[in-house]
Amino acid sequence: MTPALEIVSLSRRFGGLLAIDDVSFSIARGGLSALIGPNGAGKTTLFNAITNIFPPTSGEVRFMGQSLAGIAGDKLARLGLVRTFQTARVFPGMTVLENALAGACLRARSNAVAQMLRLPSARAEERKLREQASALLDLIGLSAFRDAAATDLPMGAQKNLEVVRALMADPAMLLLDEPAAGLNDSETADLAALLTAIRDCGVTIMVVEHNMSLVMGIADQVVVLDAGRLVAAGAPADIQRDARVIEAYVGGSV
Amino acid sequence: MLGFLQIVIGGLSQGGVFAAVALGFSLVYRVTGVVNLSQGAFCVLGAMAMYYFQVAWGWPTPLAAAASIVAVVAFGLAVGATTFVPAVATLPISSTLVLTAGLLTFFGGVALIVWGNQPYALPPFSGEAPVSFGQLRVPTQGLWLAGGVAAMIAALWWLVYRTQLGRALQACAENAMAASLMGVDVKRMMLLSFGLAAAIGAASGLLVAPITSLQFDSGDFFTTSGFVAVAIGGMGSFAGAVVGGLLLGVAEQIAAYYVSSLFANTLALLLLLAMLLWRPNGLFAAGPARRVDVRSEVVVHRAPIRLANGRMAGLALALVAVLGVLPLLPLPNGVLPSLTIAMILFISVLGLDVLMGWTGQVSLGQAGFMAIGGYTAAILATNYDWPPLAGVAAGMALSLVCALLLSVVTGRLRGHYLALATLTFGLLVDSLTVGLVDVTGGPSGLVGVPSFGVAGFDFDTPASMYWLALALAAVFVFTLEGGMRSQFGRGLQAVRTDQLAAAALGVNVPRVKLAALCVSAALASLSGSLYAFNFHFLSPEMVATPRSFEMIAMLVLGGEGTLVGGLFGSLVLTLLPTLVQGLAAYKTMAEGALLVASFLYLPEGLFGRFVLWLGRIGAKPANPNGEPAAKAAT
Ligand SMILES: Nc1ncnc2c1ncn2[C@@H]1O[C@H](COP(=O)(O)OP(=O)(O)O)[C@@H](O)[C@H]1O
Ligand SMILES: [Mg+2]
Repeated sequence: MTPALEIVSLSRRFGGLLAIDDVSFSIARGGLSALIGPNGAGKTTLFNAITNIFPPTSGEVRFMGQSLAGIAGDKLARLGLVRTFQTARVFPGMTVLENALAGACLRARSNAVAQMLRLPSARAEERKLREQASALLDLIGLSAFRDAAATDLPMGAQKNLEVVRALMADPAMLLLDEPAAGLNDSETADLAALLTAIRDCGVTIMVVEHNMSLVMGIADQVVVLDAGRLVAAGAPADIQRDARVIEAYVGGSV
Repeated sequence: MLGFLQIVIGGLSQGGVFAAVALGFSLVYRVTGVVNLSQGAFCVLGAMAMYYFQVAWGWPTPLAAAASIVAVVAFGLAVGATTFVPAVATLPISSTLVLTAGLLTFFGGVALIVWGNQPYALPPFSGEAPVSFGQLRVPTQGLWLAGGVAAMIAALWWLVYRTQLGRALQACAENAMAASLMGVDVKRMMLLSFGLAAAIGAASGLLVAPITSLQFDSGDFFTTSGFVAVAIGGMGSFAGAVVGGLLLGVAEQIAAYYVSSLFANTLALLLLLAMLLWRPNGLFAAGPARRVDVRSEVVVHRAPIRLANGRMAGLALALVAVLGVLPLLPLPNGVLPSLTIAMILFISVLGLDVLMGWTGQVSLGQAGFMAIGGYTAAILATNYDWPPLAGVAAGMALSLVCALLLSVVTGRLRGHYLALATLTFGLLVDSLTVGLVDVTGGPSGLVGVPSFGVAGFDFDTPASMYWLALALAAVFVFTLEGGMRSQFGRGLQAVRTDQLAAAALGVNVPRVKLAALCVSAALASLSGSLYAFNFHFLSPEMVATPRSFEMIAMLVLGGEGTLVGGLFGSLVLTLLPTLVQGLAAYKTMAEGALLVASFLYLPEGLFGRFVLWLGRIGAKPANPNGEPAAKAAT
């Protein structure tokens, strides 16, 4: 089976800075992999290059065997690749439930006119999406706040809401940029449970994460970046023993 | 050749004023990041003050000029400190931009009260006789103007690049956060730029007033021309402002001479649209590329304004019932016709709400679609005996085609450039309704428009027209409400605040924007048609750009993103002058002031406030402030 995501000698330059330097690795379908590395290593830039927000300067990205060259924005989500952003970006002016539902925009089968006229088909679809969103909010412990303004939630809850929202798009693969930033320990544990549950439903996940214990606990593959270069990629246990990783993480600060 | 040179000289002197206005724009834009649309009004205020000091009180010219500038700057600083500067700090850019449009209306209204609606011309500084260079004749005031503008440019350049104060101003322009950390008082600098811009505006206004006679609303003209100039030159660039202003002045004079003075604007506006397509950042674009994946704008923390389904239905029924019986009551004279107008305008405001309130796309050109719908239906029904309904349909079809064309330009634009493109569209339609005399009847309007009628029933009384508009509005609110509470509306709202995140979730952003624009254009078009049928008459100024600003005021006052809210804004602004006699002269000023005040003090609008209050009444005791319990619980 082709991997979910293949990164082939990918580089991205910003002026004089080579933010991603000839990185190659691949992610198997159905896995939960973690992308780690010190601040400024290029993790977000890698996500931006994959999703063509800042397209690769050279190299290629393949998703489910298909090249992503020139495919950006909503077309990626339509292929099944959905990402979140490092800074919380819930939609202001909408409630928590509406935010979750906004993730399902691309799944709406009924057209705008049917929705405006409240035709039975549109109402049935709306009901189904609402049930699904409520169930997911329940799972992450946000259902009590479903009618609150999303921007009134604490930062950690907003990041969880973003994961739920991305999930509502029914993706084949999720790219999550630091979803655990700003979460306390119990919230992090909730998130870890949610991520493994998502993975068990067959969604491939790649998550940028700083929290090593979280990463080592749930990931089945770890990719390590440092200064734009790939340091190592492999099973968590191997990574923990890898001298280059220890160098990248500990060496600098000791 | 001589004739051509003469025209170019005329164009340069006209362009000098545009350049000065553009300079004011650029200065404020560099320091605050906002284009201050009220800039053009300072020209009028300057000329007006000059009129009193010089003509009415007989002061000598230099003293009168100095006093005028001081007076305008003082007034500008007072208004800027209480409205503009707080707005820049707390509102998103698009709201601040619209707020400055409100300031423009406000200043125009002040000029109307003080000055009346007469045009005034000041005496030239040094006599009527032009000077001759060979065979070329140049009016002396043109020389004063050129010299004055050149002196202002030099002074501004010296101030910004050669003084300590200028360095502080520049620091704010580059990075306000860093500047404030370095001890620069950013708010003071913003106010200072606003005051300097007022001085530039006042000086250029009193210099140009002897050449072009001004009236209370000439500020609109200076603002739009200066805005166009700044867009040609590139926002924030001083050199660009000057070049853009001069280019625009010359282009307009040439068009006026070789085509028709009625079309003087058209060419410049078409040029600008082409420019926005080809090079949206202008000729002298400056500025580093932004990191688009990081949000830099102020995020609006607007509370969602929601009512439960049951309450909404009850409220809607009560509202329709009350509004429905109004015509049967003994109303004071003139109230029913005003109600009819308010209801017809509400249909257009409803469209604007979908576009601006729900999708976040600033539109300063809504009246343009009213004009297209109004003129198409009126002309077809009056001159070609089409049934009114067919005329309305044709108007909507044409409006949709125009919306499609406009979206080619606006699709990729945001913020100021989007506002500019829609404004240009509105002005373009204005210039065509005035210029195409044979088709539209020109400035004096189109007379003899029949009543609206369907299947043999004529809506020829104010009450029948009112009920028709009410019924249509009710149907639209009902259907749009349905749309907004489902995936369609969520797509719009996602695009409103975060296009990148919306796209990442699979929302087709260009298509969503186009859909909103089409809904908005269709409703405006229908409203324009009804407007013409209601008055049996249509003239350009009934559906011109000031109407776009008025509808924005109605929307913001009533409550953006609430659908029904626009009705209350429309009722207030239409009925107040009718109910309170003698208020008519204050209407323009009140409109501007209300728009500014609602942005600053009532951002959710009248209806939004009402809904939030209702929600609070019904809220569970455990959650009394409408505050989510999230903060406490986690
Ligand atoms: N749009 C951009 N323009 C210039 N430099 C950028 C841009 N995006 C990222 N960088 C640089 O690339 C490097 C990697 O950044 P980033 O990917 O955000 O790191 P992280 O691993 O912490 O997510 C940093 O030095 C950053 O400054
Ligand atoms: Mg990052």
